[in-house]
Amino acid sequence: MSAVLAVALKDLRQRLRDRSALVLGFIAPVAVAALISVAFGSASSFHANVAVVDLDRGPVAAGFATFVKGPDLTNLLTVKSVTSEADARTKVANGDLNAAFVIPKGFSEAVTSGQNRPIAVLASVDSSVAEQVARSLAESFTAQIEAVQLSVQSAVRAGAPHASAVKLAAEASAVKLPEQTVTQPAGTQALTGTSYYAPAMGIFFMFFAIGFGARGYFLERTGGTLERLAVAPIGPGTILAGKSLATFVYAVASLGTVAVVTSLAFDAHWGPPLIVLALILALALTMVGLTALVITVARTERQADGFASLLTFGLVLLGGNFIFIGGAPPLVRTLALLTPNGWALRAFTDLAGGAAWTAAVVPLMAILAFALSTGAVAYSLRRRVVR
Amino acid sequence: MKTPPALALAIAELKRVTRDRTFLFFLIVLPILVILLVGLTTASSTSIRIALVPGPSTPLATQLVYDLEANPALKTQRFTTRAQGVDALRRGEVEAVVVVPPTLDADLKSAAATRIPVLVTGDVQSSQAAVTAVSSVVARHGATVQAAKFATAHSKRSFEQNLATTRLLQQETPETPVRTDVVNRKSNYLPLGYNYSAPTMLVLFVFINALAGGAAMIQTRRYGIFARALAAPIRPRDLVLGETLCYLTLALGQALLIVLAGAVLFGVSWGDPLAAAALIGLWALVGTGAGMVSGTLFRTPEQASAIGPAVGIAFGMLGGCMWPLEIVPQSVRLVGHATPHAWAVDAWVTLVSRGGGLADIAGYLAILAGYAVVLLAIASLRLRHSLVTP
Repeated sequence: MSAVLAVALKDLRQRLRDRSALVLGFIAPVAVAALISVAFGSASSFHANVAVVDLDRGPVAAGFATFVKGPDLTNLLTVKSVTSEADARTKVANGDLNAAFVIPKGFSEAVTSGQNRPIAVLASVDSSVAEQVARSLAESFTAQIEAVQLSVQSAVRAGAPHASAVKLAAEASAVKLPEQTVTQPAGTQALTGTSYYAPAMGIFFMFFAIGFGARGYFLERTGGTLERLAVAPIGPGTILAGKSLATFVYAVASLGTVAVVTSLAFDAHWGPPLIVLALILALALTMVGLTALVITVARTERQADGFASLLTFGLVLLGGNFIFIGGAPPLVRTLALLTPNGWALRAFTDLAGGAAWTAAVVPLMAILAFALSTGAVAYSLRRRVVR
Repeated sequence: MKTPPALALAIAELKRVTRDRTFLFFLIVLPILVILLVGLTTASSTSIRIALVPGPSTPLATQLVYDLEANPALKTQRFTTRAQGVDALRRGEVEAVVVVPPTLDADLKSAAATRIPVLVTGDVQSSQAAVTAVSSVVARHGATVQAAKFATAHSKRSFEQNLATTRLLQQETPETPVRTDVVNRKSNYLPLGYNYSAPTMLVLFVFINALAGGAAMIQTRRYGIFARALAAPIRPRDLVLGETLCYLTLALGQALLIVLAGAVLFGVSWGDPLAAAALIGLWALVGTGAGMVSGTLFRTPEQASAIGPAVGIAFGMLGGCMWPLEIVPQSVRLVGHATPHAWAVDAWVTLVSRGGGLADIAGYLAILAGYAVVLLAIASLRLRHSLVTP
């Protein structure tokens, strides 16, 4: 056991002496998480500045103005005043307003006479969400008007006398829409950019442990130190165990540091510590398995470097470390689950979103299965190493 | 005719570097894969994403589900259970979950007011846009139900018959009750999808690859190639020029491959060709300068190929390659413009989104030229110093 430790400690000392290992394992992921935290730390939820241009001056238009200024929408909208439609257009174009409603002249009269004069939503090409929200609000308001018009028309089509249309309209106006939405908390927590990208970047930079481990092995082989170690009264298994332990410890220290620093300094939510630790350990085991695989497949230091880079970037691309995987199309989300980092991100996302620790059990199993499979493939190819 | 020494050195260095297949992966394959992935992701981010738990296939519930799925503002995804929808909400795959009540039809036909639950994250305000969009669809669905019920109360026809009539009348209405008028056409953002990912990833990868490419220069130094070359009748400035030419060719080559792949594979429009060429040329010079600084700054190739990309990613984030700088606080935007990336991305926005030409991006080009001159000067001085110092 002491021989295993000696080999591992020697490797770790060497690695820490190399500034690139320190930068990639510890400084870079924390710096990137800090950047994301600064960029999105003060990001608030959607809120739009809007204006109502009332060209109608009738009662229905006044009702619309009251509707958008109502207490239900104060969190969503701030209604600003404008002097004219041209003023509203200018303000929307230069970003002072996110959207504006123009109630056309004759709108109230058209409504009462059963005609259609559409409300115009002025929007900017750069505020598509504000446009959609403004349009939805206008449609919600006009739905009530539409209900009255449709009620009268349907009743007349169904046989009610046409002459009673005005009476029917008055009657229909008194009826409230039969269905409406009610918001309910789902028991989830909002996923912040920092909570997603802290583990995503931490795992990305953790993958560089594969390159360090594999390159270190080949450097020892070309330097002849591996052969000298083989002369000592320790088996090849001890040397491999020592090297694996070094990779494992480096990987755990790297992601562990990112987890602790980003939690304390940038308010990233990783989840309950014990399950987070289990996930980090499982991911570190995956790094050991992948490092062993690279060592068995590569023939030279250069090849090892190449394979490690391809594996690192292939897996982080597929796993969703570079993009917000939740926003990706379903196929990309499914493909991400072919990777251990994809499963890890799913677990960290669920935990950050308020799920119980049990939500991370399946991802944990998947990561361990990946670590075991890569380790098993490396073991089956071990004879390639003895050349 | 004899090849000038600088050119011969550049060709030899290029041959050595491009023989490395991993380098070619980072030069060509990785940027294209990232463009594809980021393009796919951003293209689907213009709609409000909703999880839909449809419930039983009764007529009114089916119609509501159809209305929600047909609404252009919404991108819906069906889930069988409420728990699955909540999982999607937790993972940020959707912004709200609409649960159609199993008793919707019966409730709507009765006198009771029906409520459609919309599940949101703890912070209800964060999903207000989604709730508003869903509410408008529910309101319009409610309008038809209300009209059918009203007609049923005033006629001998059944609710189902009247509902069919109401639906027909709604479809016959020629004009939508709301119309959108987009007041401007020139955007301050790159269009989402590949037109966003290709220019930003060009800026990001040309710079990252140049920084990581510094490793090759360190390797050359370590192999003693520079020292041996100087033993020949070659002046240090030819070596500096040769290295510069090598890096510039690589940066330009990568940029042109991305432009080509973007145009052919993803249909990216790169804007005015002359202006785009000038921008690419200057950005390649900035990358060349950065790569050469990396080659003279780091001690080992491992440092250059490891720390270079990390610096490149950080600069890319600060400079608006990962997200538009318009969405970050003003202070972050200001700091971001300390990187050349921000000016290059601003120039691409002018070309791609605002239809600008050479004159419109002249200011950005001047700033990038400034970065290129400073970086190339520092790199040349450092390289020359390392060559002439024993």
